[in-house]
Amino acid sequence: MKHKTKNGYEGLLIVIEGTDGSGKSTQLELLKRSIQDKSYGVMVSEWKTSRLIANVIDDAKERNLLNATTYSLLYAADFADRLENQIIPALKSGFIVLLDRYFYTALARDVVRGQNIEWVKNLYEYAPEPDLVFYLDMPVDILLKRIIGTTGLDFYESGRDVGFSTDFYNSFEIYQNKCLEQYNSMKSEYNFISIDGTKSIQDIHKIMNDEVQKLLDSGILA
Amino acid sequence: MGRLTEKHNLKGTLVCVEGIDGSGKSTQLALLRDWLKSIGQDVIFTEWNSSELISQTTKLAKKKNMLSPRTFSLLHAVDFADRAKQVIAPALKAGFIVLADRYAYTAFARDVARGVDAQWVRKVYDFAYKPDLAVYFDIDPKTSLERICFNRTPKFYEAGMDLKLSNDPYESYMIFQGRVINEYKKMVKEFGLIKLDANDSIHSKQVKIRELLKEVLREKGIEV
Repeated sequence: MKHKTKNGYEGLLIVIEGTDGSGKSTQLELLKRSIQDKSYGVMVSEWKTSRLIANVIDDAKERNLLNATTYSLLYAADFADRLENQIIPALKSGFIVLLDRYFYTALARDVVRGQNIEWVKNLYEYAPEPDLVFYLDMPVDILLKRIIGTTGLDFYESGRDVGFSTDFYNSFEIYQNKCLEQYNSMKSEYNFISIDGTKSIQDIHKIMNDEVQKLLDSGILA
Repeated sequence: MGRLTEKHNLKGTLVCVEGIDGSGKSTQLALLRDWLKSIGQDVIFTEWNSSELISQTTKLAKKKNMLSPRTFSLLHAVDFADRAKQVIAPALKAGFIVLADRYAYTAFARDVARGVDAQWVRKVYDFAYKPDLAVYFDIDPKTSLERICFNRTPKFYEAGMDLKLSNDPYESYMIFQGRVINEYKKMVKEFGLIKLDANDSIHSKQVKIRELLKEVLREKGIEV
């Protein structure tokens, strides 16, 4: 019997979730290469990259034009554009689609910004269910070090717009902790495969690669 | 449903006009605004797809015909949310009469006519305050087409060309706007929109709309 993908299309939908600095991009790149090595077609799509709306979001953030509702809706529009123009066409053509973040990111961030969770869920209720969701679980103190050591603290990523604290460090800590709480509460609801983000890059990659291999061995794309 | 079905209890008064293009709603709202100002009322006017945040992006995307129904819907929701939070809500709290040329009902009519789920789009907009007065100007698609397209062809999205109903923009306009009107008609009951016949004279419509507004204001203890 042929197995069916959860999304109902020909291809596989694989998501890597986690807060900023949890190592998503590194893992995405490794996973992309290892899947390509197995002769499957891979397409990658990252959060907030639609040609239509991504610039608007960046510009609006720069000018502090966003309130919690427009913040939610703009990200939802970006997602809809990418889903309908990139992700679903790729799934229909049988690609393995690797996503850096999915609507779980919006659920976490929007709820922390005070939106009603049911309202946010409704915005994304049409999104297909991924075949695999990897969640990189990272303690806040390590996240903080990583981010300060690389990109530095960003206004919105520190939740400064929410007004938890005027101190960047405190604000980041509170904001990321609240985001982690949201992610934790989503783990079982959305079947996250939770991975300890403090493990080595290779160890994490092996866990992901094994899960993907298991799925491919089931003959799902055969 | 949230706010859209409950009275808002704010000091101000929210009035919106609805209807397809060419139904004369903007004319009526402009007349109403001038009158209210002339009698010393504090008035604020806001119109569909006009926010600083997103309206230019939406217009550009429309020109390129690159919007799916859902993206189209969400971009208009961004515009509306921006105005709802920055313009409409503060003005209502400060006691203004807010005149809105199109409101959430425009999204319910157009998006659903494009095949977006009716309940989904209603939930998206459930942060919107319920208007104190919502007037729907009823017109048939043919008259609308004659009024707005006497010297140009219908535009891509206003004709619903994205739905591939017909290759002829005029025919597509008739079918698509017919669907939009059907959605408006359903909302007369659902949201208590007040239906006025767009074929009546400008004067008689203005008389009616002023009467309706006076009544609404009287209930709030404002005599005009």
